Amino acid sequence: MSDNTSAPDCWEAAADENLSTIATSMSTLNVNAPVFIPNVNAPEFVPSFMKEETGQTQPAAPDPPPEPSTGTPEDLAVTNLDGDVTADSWEEAADAATPSPNRETPPTPPTPGTPDEDEEEDSDEIKKPKKKPLDEDDSAPKKEPVNVIFIGHVDAGKSTIGGQIMYLTGMVEKRTLEKYEREAKEKNRETWYLSWALDTNLEERDKGKTVEVGRAYFETDQKHFTILDAPGHKSFVPNMIGGACQADLAVLVISARKGEFETGFERGGQTREHAMLAKTAGVKHLIVLINKMDDSTVQWSEKRYNECKEKLVPYLKKVGFNPSKDIMFMPCSGLTGANLREQIDETLCPWYKGPAFIPYINNLPPLNRNMSGPFMMPVVDRYNDRGTIVMGKVESGCCKKGDNIVVMPNKTPVTVDMLWRDEDETGTVNCGENVKVKLRGVEEADVAPGFVLCDPSNPCKTGRIFDAQVVILEHKSIICAGYSAVCHIHSVAEEVTVKLLLCTLDKKSGDKSQLRPRFVKQDQIAIMRFETSGVICMEAFKDHPQLGRFTLRDEGKTIAIGKVLKVLE
Amino acid sequence: MASQGYSADESSADRNVEIWKIKKLIKSLEMARGNGTSMISLIIPPKDQIARVSKMLADEFGTASNIKSRVNRLSVLSAITSVQQRLKLYTKVPPNGLVIYCGTIVTEEGKEKKVNIDFEPFKPINTSLYLCDNKFHTEALSALLADDNKFGFIVMDGNGALFGTLQGNTREVLHKFNVDLPKKHGRGGQSALRFARLRMEKRHNYVRKVAETAVQLFISNDKPNIAGLVLAGSADFKTELSQSDMFDPRLQGKVIKLVDVSYGGENGFNQAIELAAESLANVKFIQEKKLIAKYFEEISQDTGKYCFGVVDTLKALECGAVEILICWENLDLVRYVLKNHQSGEETILHLTPEQEKDKTHFTDKTTGVELELVDSMPLLEWLANNYKSFGATLEIITDRSQEGSQYVRGFGGIGGILRYKVDLQQLTDLEEDFNDIDLDDYM
Repeated sequence: MSDNTSAPDCWEAAADENLSTIATSMSTLNVNAPVFIPNVNAPEFVPSFMKEETGQTQPAAPDPPPEPSTGTPEDLAVTNLDGDVTADSWEEAADAATPSPNRETPPTPPTPGTPDEDEEEDSDEIKKPKKKPLDEDDSAPKKEPVNVIFIGHVDAGKSTIGGQIMYLTGMVEKRTLEKYEREAKEKNRETWYLSWALDTNLEERDKGKTVEVGRAYFETDQKHFTILDAPGHKSFVPNMIGGACQADLAVLVISARKGEFETGFERGGQTREHAMLAKTAGVKHLIVLINKMDDSTVQWSEKRYNECKEKLVPYLKKVGFNPSKDIMFMPCSGLTGANLREQIDETLCPWYKGPAFIPYINNLPPLNRNMSGPFMMPVVDRYNDRGTIVMGKVESGCCKKGDNIVVMPNKTPVTVDMLWRDEDETGTVNCGENVKVKLRGVEEADVAPGFVLCDPSNPCKTGRIFDAQVVILEHKSIICAGYSAVCHIHSVAEEVTVKLLLCTLDKKSGDKSQLRPRFVKQDQIAIMRFETSGVICMEAFKDHPQLGRFTLRDEGKTIAIGKVLKVLE
Repeated sequence: MASQGYSADESSADRNVEIWKIKKLIKSLEMARGNGTSMISLIIPPKDQIARVSKMLADEFGTASNIKSRVNRLSVLSAITSVQQRLKLYTKVPPNGLVIYCGTIVTEEGKEKKVNIDFEPFKPINTSLYLCDNKFHTEALSALLADDNKFGFIVMDGNGALFGTLQGNTREVLHKFNVDLPKKHGRGGQSALRFARLRMEKRHNYVRKVAETAVQLFISNDKPNIAGLVLAGSADFKTELSQSDMFDPRLQGKVIKLVDVSYGGENGFNQAIELAAESLANVKFIQEKKLIAKYFEEISQDTGKYCFGVVDTLKALECGAVEILICWENLDLVRYVLKNHQSGEETILHLTPEQEKDKTHFTDKTTGVELELVDSMPLLEWLANNYKSFGATLEIITDRSQEGSQYVRGFGGIGGILRYKVDLQQLTDLEEDFNDIDLDDYM
């Protein structure tokens, strides 16, 4: 397994080379940049961080590091800083490149109305909060949207944690929950009642397995969270990818119960695959919840917690998450709700001093969003309810009620009739929000998942043939022209065939081979030309990372990950 | 099914070559067109008597002499005479029966060409046929080629269903349709139950539609037309289908396997074939996949015991190093034997149809002398005739499987697994164009 993901490492390495650009992009794009810039070079933070690290890994650290001071500006600064450096080279390149699409945006309809000049990224970002209430026509001020996806092996407790959070934040009434509990008892599925808040289908409840991505939301005083509950079962990985592509933050749920952790982490288990897919889908920050700590085989044992942690860290590192910066470990129990909202009881677990889950995600630094870019939203799902309603996450820009937009790739002009943010109707939606849009001018049958709602003056690219850089993760034989697999790119799953191998890239140096390779094997990086079976929407990775990264799957396995370099035709 | 006509030591590989030859023959016969009704197709089943057929032909000869049109009469009579002459070569009907095609065909250039083919099929042919038409009748032969075991596949997932069959090395998609099942939206409130019910109804209807389509496609004349049925799907649709009352019991009995695939459509079909491979082990398609997978393994392990491309493969063949020669059935390379009549030198060229148009290949590079064409024949045919003299076995594959398609498109459709490592200069240039790509465009 050690060889499996060495590739992302190299992207990471490449990222280090661009360190200078990182620094610049960081200073330009960070929201509160002026305040925190001194902190970047401040030496005292590094040791504090190290202390925090050791404190967590060493079982019996007597003095708790100054971690509990979660909300303090100091801590925020640390995480903030980290949040940006985490990104792998692709992200960096993308971040660095974002100004260019932004520059093009002024002619687009939604932006001219806003007072900001797009001269500097800083001013633009700072003005955002001012602007929001300005064109807001519904009463509640907007909170920062964050999309959280729960991933992990089957039966790790993803849906249960989701349900527990909903209960704790008051999104599910006690009465409803009692009803679920009663019904669950009838089916001899007592412990599953919490997951029923997210598993709404009959089959899902009967089997206790999530099939489709569940959706719910909750709010804290600063943020608005959308929960995406991914299915853990192997057969439903395609559904999970569809959810992961909308997420900003991933929560990897691990079962600490004896035997369960091990099976989930084995080669065929979904723990590895999900973590990797989440990373490829563009998730930058990962929280690992070690669940089921209340189980009789675990009993809040610190030893077990550390055991799980130690096994996970090297793998997550290989996937491309930086263990010191973008991974946070915490123990919890989905069934009892321990350490989800409230800090854990001292008597139960004296060794964990970190923050609880909800406060932690609430205090994460704001995400870097492309607010001023052209409006773009991939359709995840659509249905008919007195009009065509599409769902999805806004990837860039914003959109108002009554706006004229186009549905790509068919270039169907439509009008926005109504907008919902989760369940509430609103007048505008911004980048990063998970929304529902009612469209006028298109039939439900003429929209499909994978279509993209775009700004008419700046529609996304469409095509059938594209060149992409891919890393082969796991494939038993060789890949050459003629190979076909399913390609997941944003919310599309489309069959693609390799048309041509252009060159291979050296893992270390990134040099391109001059000879055209005849085939590629596992662990190689190559630039290939693909042909899809139908026209799909995509963008070069450097322009729109979210519409340019993809995964290739075949026979129930993830074969390769890649990014679109060029859309040809 | 081992035909008696073949000695026991002849392997299945030879049989495959034999099959390929017949396939090719059928193709050429199908293309042929003649004047009037002068093309005779004659099939004699095993254990029939030559004398009986001779008598029938003599009677036909009598009838044919009454044909009014002089041209037609003459050509029919001459065809019958040729058949009679051919028949005289046999003292009795061969064990697998006898097939004779005879007639005057009109070639592309408009010239007439007399054809007289007689052969014993590779397995017993149970048809008796005598037809005079303006074309050759090959249906009986094609039926002979078809493997007897046909397997049905139903791939169903939340987006749609696909019905396919696998027979011999042909994978066929019979039908596919999409459905639009409501996803879970978490739409709730008062109508939550209603939505749940609508959803169940839609799913039920979908299962019904699949079950009904399955009956339409897999049952003909009140009998299943397949030897086995594989149900594949991502969620529990497949189990729902297999247990449903709507699913025809005749088909239910044929279900050999339920497999879990993560995608629907073509990809799911491929995966289902892969997963059901154990149950379908003796289907040629699976054998073909395995063979190429083995070849790819040699490549990925970099054992050096492989070759690809015409030049390398032929070099390896000449060394006697090739153990299994793998060729695509539609390989369009043509082997030319050219002679320089000044120096008396003979050269051999292998050209694609495109290269063929380029006349520079047919002139001597140094002297500019036009080369004399001694012989030209499709490379595959040449290989089929000569592979034994190189001590190799020949496998003819299709490009219908994932592996086959990779082999054909990535490796040119010709190659082989070697017995030992041979140092071939891997410089065979299959790269024709595409040199316009500037790699510096990227990043």
